[in-house]
Amino acid sequence: MLKIIPLALSAILLSSCSSTVEELYQKVAPRPSVVNVEDRASATEESIIAPDSSRFESEEFTGSHERTYSQNSALKAAVGELKNTGIKFVLNFSYDGSEINEFATQEIIKHANFMRDNPSINLRLEGHADERGTREYNLALGENRALAVKEVLGLYDLSSRVEVVSFGEESPVIQLHDENAWQQNRRVEFIYQ
Amino acid sequence: MIKLVIVFLTLYATAAVAVLEVTVLKKDENAFPIVISPFSVKGDAKQGEVIAHIMRDNFNRSGEFNASSADYIVTSQIDFGKWQAQKIEAVVIGKLEQVSEKVFNVEIELLDIYSRKTLYAKKFAVHDSGIRRITHYLSDQIYFALLGEKGSFDTRLAYVTVVDKGKRKREYRLEISDSDAQNPQTILRAASPILSPAWSPDQNKIAYVSFKNGRSEVFIQYPFMRRKTQKLPYFDGIASAPAWHPSGESIVLTLSKGGNKDIYSYHLKNDKLTRLTHDTGIDTEASYSADGERIAFTSNRSGQVQVYIKHLKTGKINRATFNGSYNAKAVFSPDGKSLALVHRVDRDYRIALLDIETKDLTIMTENKLDESPFFSPNGGMIIFATNKGDSGVLSVVSILGRETFELASKSGEVREPNWSHYSK
Repeated sequence: MLKIIPLALSAILLSSCSSTVEELYQKVAPRPSVVNVEDRASATEESIIAPDSSRFESEEFTGSHERTYSQNSALKAAVGELKNTGIKFVLNFSYDGSEINEFATQEIIKHANFMRDNPSINLRLEGHADERGTREYNLALGENRALAVKEVLGLYDLSSRVEVVSFGEESPVIQLHDENAWQQNRRVEFIYQ
Repeated sequence: MIKLVIVFLTLYATAAVAVLEVTVLKKDENAFPIVISPFSVKGDAKQGEVIAHIMRDNFNRSGEFNASSADYIVTSQIDFGKWQAQKIEAVVIGKLEQVSEKVFNVEIELLDIYSRKTLYAKKFAVHDSGIRRITHYLSDQIYFALLGEKGSFDTRLAYVTVVDKGKRKREYRLEISDSDAQNPQTILRAASPILSPAWSPDQNKIAYVSFKNGRSEVFIQYPFMRRKTQKLPYFDGIASAPAWHPSGESIVLTLSKGGNKDIYSYHLKNDKLTRLTHDTGIDTEASYSADGERIAFTSNRSGQVQVYIKHLKTGKINRATFNGSYNAKAVFSPDGKSLALVHRVDRDYRIALLDIETKDLTIMTENKLDESPFFSPNGGMIIFATNKGDSGVLSVVSILGRETFELASKSGEVREPNWSHYSK
């Protein structure tokens, strides 16, 4: 499913995230409990935060997306702050495309590292499409885009912490009917929670 | 078929809403010239004019007729020669007599000007709450008497309206109305999108997609019953694009179990889920033929977005569209011979009619972003969503390619039209 297309072939398949992962680190990193290696190693935290694969499967099966958050208040505060940062991570896509090129892969890997450094944080990937074409097809296309991003994160064993939803063309960032609007509306949003 | 006094179903938990504005786009010069005379009335005169007015509007919206009124009440002592000289081909005359506060006797007659014969006549009593409905029924009868095919008047529409509430907030409403947009009712209000409403064949249920739980899920609502809305099963991904089997016993929908979007059939009585497509690409937007033997669906299995037809008995899947790089959201015509679909022309998305047998594709519209085509129950018209100015409206085109009418909301967008089957 995942196609890593050489940059030469996919000229502008993806544009950069509108914010960088570095900015995210700056917002959250000062909280020692989030990135502190010792904290990550603490047994109680680990067992709650990093579910084993069997738990993952049962979660998928029941369709439940509730996750067990750490009781650690510092972590909670960090997640809360993350929500309030207003930083939006967005990957854009080509018309009718859900391919992840090499550049995008590098961007996603930064998120993978960030998630590994912050094991209490989960990620919701929201796939979106532009208004062209039919609504139901675009709903499917939006999910494919988010799944393509999730697939890269899956290479880092992060699938269980990634939720995918699609809004198709229903939630555009720009409500205009031109090339620029369409380009920006074809996207996956990274929402940390 | 027709009961003496029709008792009407009431809608539960609904509020009256604004009627969509109906604009008849073009009167065709060659359309059938018909006169619907004012009725002679004993009692409440208003109701007589209501019937004649609704009937004229019905015929004009159909695109098949050029309906007008007369300056005086035409009776059975009609001067055929005079109407013939005016090139009128048929005249409808009627009498209305109020027999009690709420009950009326109605008499109606359709006269053929050339043969000077009565083509249709009916006499009955009706409760005043049933006058609108009975007029649609009579319009269907007259339509049939003149053209030899059914009308689509005694039917209902479902559609979604979207009102901008400012601060990036919108209100989505699932609404139903009579075929002439009158009698509108909101059956669902939500802050999140509503997609793909679909009337059940018995016209008692509506399936639709809601995002109220943060993701797309399929629901069935009972607008005329005090019955809880039912949620169809979903798995970890999207559930969407519901369409009814003609028996009303099952629904086809798109599920993305494990991320793979395929078409499934869900049986409402035994909850059995049957997978109908098995491709790794996107399969979605399924709809049944009227005999229930085929489904048409959208797939990108070829690398392009195209429409396919699966024969359910043999399991064979054939590609239906070969013209252009994007064809999607196909629905079968009631006779099963053609598909209405969304077709990309250069950079524009338009409604096209595909002859399944010959593969001839006829582009029916000239807009930029047309979507969601759906046939009127008689197959004579296609309703679809389009943009006018910056707002979404519904438009109706006859299958002969004539634009007939448009439905617009004063307060926002209208989209996702669906046309019911005939009333039972």
